Amino acid sequence: MKRSLFGRFWPNATALVLFALFLFPVYWMFATSFKPRGDILSDDPVWFPVDPTFEHYRTAFDADNFWNFWQNSLTVTLLAVGCSLLIALFASFAIARMRFRGRTGVILLFMFAQMAPWEVMVISVYMLVRDADMLNSLVPLTLFYTVMVLPLTILTLRTYVAAVPKDLEEAAMVDGATRTQAFRKVIFPLLAPGLMATSLFGFITAWNEFALVLVVNKEAEAQTLPLWLSQFQTNFGDDWGATMAAASLFSLPILLLFLYLQRKVTAGLTAGAVKG
Amino acid sequence: MKRTAVAVLAAAGLVASLAACGSDDSDDGDGAGKGAGSYEGETLTFWAMDGSTPDDWLKDVKAEFEKKTGATLEYKVQQWNGIQQKLTTALSEESPPDVVEVGNTQTPAYAATGGLSDLTELKEEIGTEWTESLNESSIYEGKQYAAPWFFANRVVMYNKSIFKEAGVTEIPQTRDDLFAAFDKIEKNTDAEPVYMPGQNWYFFDGLLIGQDAELVKKDGDAWVSNLSDPKVGAAMEIYKQYADYSTAPKDKDEATPQQGEVFGKGKTGAIIGMGWESGIAVEASKDKDFEKEIGYFTIPGDTADTPESVFLGGSNLAIAAGSDKQELAQEFLKIVLSDKHEGALAAANGVIPNKDSLLSKLEGNEAAEAAAPAAAVGGTTPLIPEWGAVENTPNPIKSYMTAFLNGDSHEEAAASVEDDLNERLSQE
Amino acid sequence: MTVQTPGPAAEKVAGRTRTPSPPPGRHRKSQVSAGALPYLLLLPALAITAILLGWPLVKNVILSFQQLGMKELIQHLTVWNGVDNYTDVLGGEDFWRVTLRTMIFTAVNVALIMLFGTLIGLLLARLGRKMRLTLLMALVLAWAMPIIAATTVYQWLFAERYGVVNWVLDKLGWHSMADYSWTSSQFSTFFVITVMLVWTSIPFVAINLYAATTTIAKELYEAASLDGAGGWRTFSSVTLPFIKPFLFVTTFLEIIWIFKAFPHVYAINGGGPDRLTETLPVYAFVEGVGNQHYGMGAAISVLTILVLLGMTSYYIRMVLKQEREDS
Repeated sequence: MKRSLFGRFWPNATALVLFALFLFPVYWMFATSFKPRGDILSDDPVWFPVDPTFEHYRTAFDADNFWNFWQNSLTVTLLAVGCSLLIALFASFAIARMRFRGRTGVILLFMFAQMAPWEVMVISVYMLVRDADMLNSLVPLTLFYTVMVLPLTILTLRTYVAAVPKDLEEAAMVDGATRTQAFRKVIFPLLAPGLMATSLFGFITAWNEFALVLVVNKEAEAQTLPLWLSQFQTNFGDDWGATMAAASLFSLPILLLFLYLQRKVTAGLTAGAVKG
Repeated sequence: MKRTAVAVLAAAGLVASLAACGSDDSDDGDGAGKGAGSYEGETLTFWAMDGSTPDDWLKDVKAEFEKKTGATLEYKVQQWNGIQQKLTTALSEESPPDVVEVGNTQTPAYAATGGLSDLTELKEEIGTEWTESLNESSIYEGKQYAAPWFFANRVVMYNKSIFKEAGVTEIPQTRDDLFAAFDKIEKNTDAEPVYMPGQNWYFFDGLLIGQDAELVKKDGDAWVSNLSDPKVGAAMEIYKQYADYSTAPKDKDEATPQQGEVFGKGKTGAIIGMGWESGIAVEASKDKDFEKEIGYFTIPGDTADTPESVFLGGSNLAIAAGSDKQELAQEFLKIVLSDKHEGALAAANGVIPNKDSLLSKLEGNEAAEAAAPAAAVGGTTPLIPEWGAVENTPNPIKSYMTAFLNGDSHEEAAASVEDDLNERLSQE
Repeated sequence: MTVQTPGPAAEKVAGRTRTPSPPPGRHRKSQVSAGALPYLLLLPALAITAILLGWPLVKNVILSFQQLGMKELIQHLTVWNGVDNYTDVLGGEDFWRVTLRTMIFTAVNVALIMLFGTLIGLLLARLGRKMRLTLLMALVLAWAMPIIAATTVYQWLFAERYGVVNWVLDKLGWHSMADYSWTSSQFSTFFVITVMLVWTSIPFVAINLYAATTTIAKELYEAASLDGAGGWRTFSSVTLPFIKPFLFVTTFLEIIWIFKAFPHVYAINGGGPDRLTETLPVYAFVEGVGNQHYGMGAAISVLTILVLLGMTSYYIRMVLKQEREDS
């Protein structure tokens, strides 16, 4: 009844318009990266890369230290997300499952931590890293990225932990499993989508971080992709083809990761909520 | 029982997680110890700016340096964007780059920080012939803190076919000639006469020098803004005449986008730029023979006898005070600044060398020949340490230029940025 | 991806659909008598946060009482200058102007994001499966776009020459926009930044809101329609109560995120033209790092944090209250 009120047409039409609006910038990035120079700087936009070229990607691949940037970015991001998930898992169990003195204070603390504007504190961080003689290393980057993503990871993960029914855990233990086994066999599988969902935020934050690595690591050997992309942009100015190729390469891992995890996570989310 | 199990798990997890977080490698080992007498095994780090060092020149310098000293030269290209913060922080570090290129307008500020080594003795050894006016920026409180390396000034770079198509047959000798040529291009072709974004501030600085305008004045002990001086307005008025021929953005400088790239597309009659910018233009052009299209002439002034004044941009080489390879760094400077390499750099890049005896190296380089006459009427930005802060982004002078071009009067535009300018000048 | 806060919604659901009140005895007891365990579990998180966030924060406060320029930084000098940095900042007009601008900027963006995010979330719930997946995909891609890449793409979309936005506006008959420089004025720069921020932020709100609505039991809608409730009544009596805590927390997060947005604002026009689009974090960066006036920058960043705390204090209090009720 309710649905027929608007019919199918208007919602679908709106959805299509929104689809186009949201997808266009992403599409335009990829499309531009495959277009020959003449098509990019043409008075009327060329909507599809009808005459695709890999020239811009070649420019991007030819950049100095290209693979090095990738390796650093992947290392730092994966380690930071991994570490923060692990640490957050413990913390969120405590917050979601246990009553203890200072619980509210702890939640408050992580809320504050989530608010920290890191970009405006880079000089303090820089001086600390410098005085600890850890410049041009991936270690401080990993550690700071871990802390950057930790608060949100905890605040998010705890809701997933809370949504795992306690009865299940207890049922497993009644069947003779130890608490560790119960965790591994029963809770962890239920929590997996939550962990994935949570990790995505960490991925984006760490993958994107720019201000800190800029001041802390001056040596190209210890730099990450955002610096490469911004340098690329400076070097290639309004060579939009090369810049868009670089931006596409930079975005691709995250875009794929999101697309891949999207359904699992949504499924996990709703399932968790319904079961609760 | 259960509780202990979880506690153990938690404890183990804590250890594991911290270990995992800390175990990632990537060390930052520095060079090996000193070899007695020779510099075998040492590495000298040299920071030069993007575009300063041609590949062949660098190869020669590196080979000679490594042969003579036994040390290794590690060369790192730096981008202009954000270089000041990068240099400042680098100089504060335990192992700073040993030799750095510092822009001449920035040199006094860095000399005042104590981050650069005193090179007074080196100057006595190798620098007696250095052109005095070019060495000025390296001297702070009577001591030499850097060595003049190379200098350059702007010229008019023009597209020969567009000028021809418009019917301009003679090289403009005065500013009026030039504007007449632009008028013809506007009328007879579909090209933009000149690409002049609103914030080509170093070109504007040349105009200021031509009008005898000073950007700062002494107020007791302190330097304060002199931007509201009508002479500044007169220079800006000339700038506006150029900008009016262009559809370039009023709020961008000549590097965003690179004006060379715009010029390379072949739809721009002229740009005012450095000789090396033709390289960008040729690269951006689809036409392989575009190089032959490019001509150069001196920026004309009021009369045919005196060219327009120009900003003499340039770079000095300095040694970081925090470097523990002072001697080796001086050896390097001696090689780089030797007549052989200094001359080769001048010839390759078409830049003005640090001594007059090498000027002959510029012969045959069209851009450099066009630039040379104006160097005599060249000048710089105020050579005071406080000036460094003014040019940090967002440069208030650039804001003034944009405001003026957007229709503010000189007084209004100056008033809108003077507080900011004074604040920067008073900053220590 | 989703998430972040299935949170309160899920918790509420859990609280409601579970057995009416927690049965006394074992269940409850195991929650209460945790002893030292929770502290142990929290130790890594607290330790690493205290060290790696607390330390820079303290350092930042210390620096804010120093004169720290190029010379002091290079020579590792400590020059105390009392509250000079603070009197300079608070005494000038700039700081207050930037603060007001930041608040308006945050309010406008958060309002747009929440409004359109909610509407799109509700639309998602109404769509058929195929259409929903299609729209979800676009939203997810927009959301996942790394910000450094997004700023690059937006600069290209809004480029003065050959930018596709100007072309479209020109074709739509607005010819003065053909060579329009979007970075030339305060308003147009903010417009581009806002479009970009809203574009990247809506998906988070919309997708989570959609996820929250899927937890609403179908029976509730059936009951409502049996009672003869119309579209709006159904929404206000069934949907809204469910998504309210969710909206609440999301608004809180968006306020923080928009307020803190640094690369978005800085990359588009560096706070220009004429420093007119500097928000507090950008202002702190330009004064501190850009002008190499690091002590001053530290003072501004301390003030920035205080302003953010002030803006969110209401929310923090509400969230805490909710937290206590839940526990």
